[in-house]
Amino acid sequence: MAAAKTRTSTFSRNLSTAPPSHGPGLKCGPNGTVFLSSGIPDLDKILGGGFPLGSLVMVMEDAEAPHHMLLLRNFMAQGLVLGQHLLYSSPARDPRGFLGTLPSPAASKDDKSRERDPDQEKGLRIAWQYKKYFGENQLDGQRDGKHEYSNEFDLRKPLERHFINGPRIDCVSIQDSDLSTLRDRCATFLSQFPRNDGSISCAGRIAIQSFCAPQCAYSNMEWDMLSFIRSLKSMVRSSNSVAIVTFPPSLLSPSFCKRWQHMADTLLSVKAIQDEDKELAQLLTGYQDMVGFLNVHKVARINTQVPVILEATTFSIKLQKRRYLVLECLNQAPVDGSSGTSYGTSGGCSSSSKTGNLDF
Amino acid sequence: MAESIYRALRDGALEGELAPALTIKDSVASPFALQVFSHVISQLFSSILAGKSQSRGLVVVSFSRSPSFYLDLLKNKGTDVASSNKQIQILDCYSDPLGWKDQLAGSRNFTALSNEAMVSSNAIVFREVKHMDKLYNSIIELGKGLVGGGKIRFSIAIDSADEMLRHAPVSSVARLLSNLRSHDQISSIFWLLHSDLHEARVTAVLEYLSSIVASLEPSHQLANGQRGDLENFSLIKHNSKKGKFHVRFKKRNGRSEEVHIEQSGINFASLPSEGAINQGLVPKVQFSLQLSEKERIDKANVVLPFEHQGNGKPIQIYDGRRSLVDSKHERPVSAVENVQTNENCGSGEIIYYRDSDDEMPDSDEDPDDDLDI
Repeated sequence: MAAAKTRTSTFSRNLSTAPPSHGPGLKCGPNGTVFLSSGIPDLDKILGGGFPLGSLVMVMEDAEAPHHMLLLRNFMAQGLVLGQHLLYSSPARDPRGFLGTLPSPAASKDDKSRERDPDQEKGLRIAWQYKKYFGENQLDGQRDGKHEYSNEFDLRKPLERHFINGPRIDCVSIQDSDLSTLRDRCATFLSQFPRNDGSISCAGRIAIQSFCAPQCAYSNMEWDMLSFIRSLKSMVRSSNSVAIVTFPPSLLSPSFCKRWQHMADTLLSVKAIQDEDKELAQLLTGYQDMVGFLNVHKVARINTQVPVILEATTFSIKLQKRRYLVLECLNQAPVDGSSGTSYGTSGGCSSSSKTGNLDF
Repeated sequence: MAESIYRALRDGALEGELAPALTIKDSVASPFALQVFSHVISQLFSSILAGKSQSRGLVVVSFSRSPSFYLDLLKNKGTDVASSNKQIQILDCYSDPLGWKDQLAGSRNFTALSNEAMVSSNAIVFREVKHMDKLYNSIIELGKGLVGGGKIRFSIAIDSADEMLRHAPVSSVARLLSNLRSHDQISSIFWLLHSDLHEARVTAVLEYLSSIVASLEPSHQLANGQRGDLENFSLIKHNSKKGKFHVRFKKRNGRSEEVHIEQSGINFASLPSEGAINQGLVPKVQFSLQLSEKERIDKANVVLPFEHQGNGKPIQIYDGRRSLVDSKHERPVSAVENVQTNENCGSGEIIYYRDSDDEMPDSDEDPDDDLDI
């Protein structure tokens, strides 16, 4: 008998350097990038893990609908819940007012499903012997890990006060201030998270809402706004943080709109849905529940030249039970009109929790 | 429907949300915005008087018309304005917007026109339209004077946004409107806009700031060029009385609604909305179940490989096994027919090889006819 082999192949990974352990809410990704969650689990899956640290996310608003606020709310709430720092700026006179609308993490649905499982198991024991291989432990680890990284948010429950009143939040109103003040505030905020090799203790999030809103005094100075975005992008790239900037493209001239889109590392856009659009209702399943569309135009790829090619770039935004934000691939309506599956629950035997689904 | 606009303005703002804002937009082709504006004012005011609306007072910021216009308008609609001092106040930015009369009076002892005094119980003259923040303060003061402080709300009507934009830059006007919308005591706000007077960006800014956009379009679009002048003229005449009233609502849940109404005079008659689907909205899904126009034409042009095309003529299909000589003779015959149908044919072709020469060409008889079921 040969000595017991510890390696199954001649190639072995040299694990002399342990992977750096990161603070809460951060996950290692490929190519040495570190992700933080966007606050919407479906969006994290679409983007391949979340927003990479050091990237600039731009969201093109639709003037008809406030869906960009949904994205911002989830993003900000996720950061606060995990103890990350936040800088929020908006064109309102008092941006703090918006913090009151942030959602709270949803009560864990897993507890409820756990209680159901033993009963179901008894009935299905003969048919579903392989359940033991799925392993409760595996699910456990996944669930806890998930909560450390991302949460599902209940849009009906406001975030607890102690999160909002903490010292980690800074608010700036861009209505009266000019761009250099805003740039200085961002610079001081980002100086707290310099990027160096080693473990990351905490990360920062910047959320700038409606950057070129007409109320702002600088809104007609297009070149200045563009140079602000460029300097923000460079500051963010050399720090451990993610910045989201939303803007309404209809208020910019087309050439500047294109330039801003090129500045983004990750580019998303939201669109409103027409109410009572019969043709759209016939074309798409689940039209009644849809609140809007989300388009993913660009996904950030840092440290690599391989682009991400998504299966689908348009997703419908739905509010499940009017509380939870889910993103779904669009499905064309088959004859019987059953609804599509959420991007999060991929195929397999798990069917989405909607009625009228065909179970095979 | 115009009813839904009226309802939205009447119900007003919810706690913690921005007040609903309506833009009434028109153009040279269909210049009825003033009539719509007057209609909305009179409806809102009568509901304020009746106590049915959230707001308890109306402040009219009038730039382009004299305050007496509004008082007369409301009198004609039957509301008693004299006794309703507490419900309506007009901020008069029409008589002396830049304060010139004051300056003249100061330098030359020029006596001010006396007709200003007649409407002074309801109207207050405002002399500094270039300063939007002073305008903001005056509007709020006037409104608070009407309804008192606290939680009671009032509505604002601005006639018109064009004049404001003449005096102040877009960003100040935008700031004024958004601050008004976010003020606790404002129930609803609406303004008039002539879209021809401004660049596209300015119109886009005002539409961005409003939650309801009502635009007036001509019911028949005038064709440029080809049509004879007579036709155009009759269309213009037609457009001078009727128009299409197109309303877009931005709902709270992010769905937007569009309504079309035919309007003549000031009566709104509902028109079935065309519901044209915005092709840009529908994303490119993997397969489409509809045919485009070109595809439809091509489909009609394809000659099917049945000898019986259903149009009463026998058709010969080129069949690889016939000799070249025969096919040459046949070619002209089929070519003629083919040419007629396949003029616009693209590259599609269906080639049919006959199994055997004994095969009878397709016939109309149904072989199941002799079944007795």
